Parts: sequence; structure tokens; C-alpha cells
Amino acid sequence: MLVRLAAERATGALLRDHGTLYLVDGRVVHAESPASPGMDVLLTTAGRLPRENWDEAVDRAGAHRAVGRFLVDSGRLRDGELEICHLGAVFDAAFFALSPTSGPTRFRYGVGHWFGTVRPVSAEAVERETLRRRELLDAVWPYASVDSAPVVPRPAAPGQGVGARRRALLAAADGVRTPAELARVLGRPAFHTLLDVRRLAAAGLVETPLDAAPDATPPPPPPEWSPVPPVSDPDIALLRRLRDALEAHL
Amino acid sequence: MPGIDECLMEAMTLPGARGASLVDWNSGLALGTAGESPVGDHETTAAETAELARAAAEFDSFTAAAEEPPAEDGGVPPVEDLIVTTRAGYHVIRFVRTSFDSSVFLHLWLDRDTGNLALARIRLGDLAEKLVLG
Repeated sequence: MLVRLAAERATGALLRDHGTLYLVDGRVVHAESPASPGMDVLLTTAGRLPRENWDEAVDRAGAHRAVGRFLVDSGRLRDGELEICHLGAVFDAAFFALSPTSGPTRFRYGVGHWFGTVRPVSAEAVERETLRRRELLDAVWPYASVDSAPVVPRPAAPGQGVGARRRALLAAADGVRTPAELARVLGRPAFHTLLDVRRLAAAGLVETPLDAAPDATPPPPPPEWSPVPPVSDPDIALLRRLRDALEAHL
Repeated sequence: MPGIDECLMEAMTLPGARGASLVDWNSGLALGTAGESPVGDHETTAAETAELARAAAEFDSFTAAAEEPPAEDGGVPPVEDLIVTTRAGYHVIRFVRTSFDSSVFLHLWLDRDTGNLALARIRLGDLAEKLVLG
């Protein structure tokens, strides 16, 4: 559907269960998803932008759909910073919005986003990147269970390095926060956090608390009878005609 | 105040420049590209250089000493640059320092005969700074 909308140079919002893509003339200009931190989280968590500055930009420029532009013109952000942060957020949200489990797709023509256009990306590039990211996750560690479950650190083997970024991730992994929540706490894109969690899982440095206590709840006993869907009486005459027709062909 | 495209265009004006890109080393995403790729596909080159950059950025042997001064800030790359020399060219990978959490670098591919490695290294450092500081 995205490719068709790109071909007809559509403008509007592509709505799915896990997120929304905004198109202008068939190119992706913005994306957001409840699963990924927005620009505001990415910029304010690390202290790059005070929350008041963000709110001011939304108040003053949101109605003209030029919040990104306002942040640069008012000297809060540089062009390069805005582009790097925004592209990161767009591809991050698109990954979740375009996931196969994201449900039905609707398109509302003419709908725009208040953030405004920063650096449009072709719809094909977004779709290709989303696919590449899915394959990358599975190449690192092909078990999706660590994507949504809270994880806890495991002790490193002697001489096993972790790296500063992943040390910060491990320090925040308390067995309650899911990877999506960790991303928000750290002010990092959600896909990057998923990828780091899978890399840590592959290295044996995290586990889900369920792994630690596998026998906490016994599996439910199988039902004693297998339910059979109700069937109305077969149409004997129809079955005879079918048999005759098949025999005539043999 | 340059954006990504202006920054890459400027990198391409360096002597012997054949290709330039801005890449996220955590995901392997190319945020912007200019010129050619050694394998004919910028996205493949981005994914491959990202793996190399990630190794340098994450192994403690390269990063341990650098962590002491300003504390572990997500936006401050402990490694400044990487240089890979091949028979036909040079690859300069310059980490970009941002004040929000990010993981991006500039990659410049130079021709070995016409490129000037020392100049490219200095200019790429300036460009990385200009990209985020204006």
C-alpha cells in the first residue's frame, strides 16, 4: 500500500495499529509510534533541550506545522542536529508502524503532522530499511521474546567486555522495564534498544526473569475432550453428485 | 548552518573524494549519501562500515581511557576516528559528537593516488563539528 501511495504521490496519514506514517507528495516526512520515543523524549532526556523550549516550539509553530523549522530558526537546534534526530525518530517509528503485526492499514488523504517537514525520505527507502532491520534483529538473536519482556542482567564471563552504551542499558534493566520503557528512560530510539538487548541476549548478558524460574507455574492440563465444531447433516445428494462427477473424470 | 547534504557535498570537494555518507553505527542506517560506493550500493556500505565503527566504539580497549574526563555521556564518542587503508583507497570514519543520544559517523572514501589523507582527516573532523554546532 505504501508503494502505491508513493506512486500516486499521495499526501496524508497512513494509520496502523502500531504507528502512523505521514506522507507529502508520496514521500515520508514524519512517523510516530507508541512503541518508540518521540523527538521530544530524544532531545529532552539527555538535556539537549529543556522541556520548556520544546513546549514553546509546539505552542508557537505547531499550528503552522513548522515545529522543526522553529527549533532551528529560534537557535535552539542546528540543522544537522535536527536532521539527525528527526531521521532517527522517523525510521524508528516506521519500523514499528510497518511491522507485520501492526494490523489493518488505513489512509487519510490530506492529513499532515504538526512537526512539519524536515528531510523527506522516499517510501521505498523506508520500507527497505524496515525490512533490513527485521532481518538484522533475527540475524543477531532469532528469539523475539526479549523484545517485549523485562530483562535482567546476567554476570559477564571473565574478560567479556560490554561497552559503555550497553553498560548504561544494563544498569537501567531492572527486571520491570521492557525494552520500550528502557528506550524512553535512556532517551534512545526503541529499535536501537531492541537491537542492543538482542545483542546482549546473544552474548548471554541478559535474560528474561521467566528464564530464571521456568517452573513457577505448571502448564495448564490439556482439556479432556477436544471440541468438535458443530456440523450440520451432510447433504447426501450433493456428495453423491460429487462422487459421480469424480468417477466420470477418472 | 549546514545540514546533512551540505556537509556531504563539502566532504566531496576534498581532493580524491569518491564517496561520502552519514551513517548510524548502531543500526547501520545511511542518513545521507553522496558520490559512489565501493560496492555500488550505499546501503550495503553503510551496514558494513557501521559494524566496523561499532566494534571500535564499544570495545573497552579503545574506550576505557576516554571515559574518565566528562563521564559516560551517550552523545560523546570516546573514539574520534578510524582509518582503513586499502590498496586502492582510504576510508576515514569520523564519529560525530551530538548532545543528545545518537550513534552517527561521517564516512569518506578517498582515492589512494589523488587523496590527501592528512588533509581529509582534519577537514572531516571540522565537518563533523560544524554539522551539529553550526
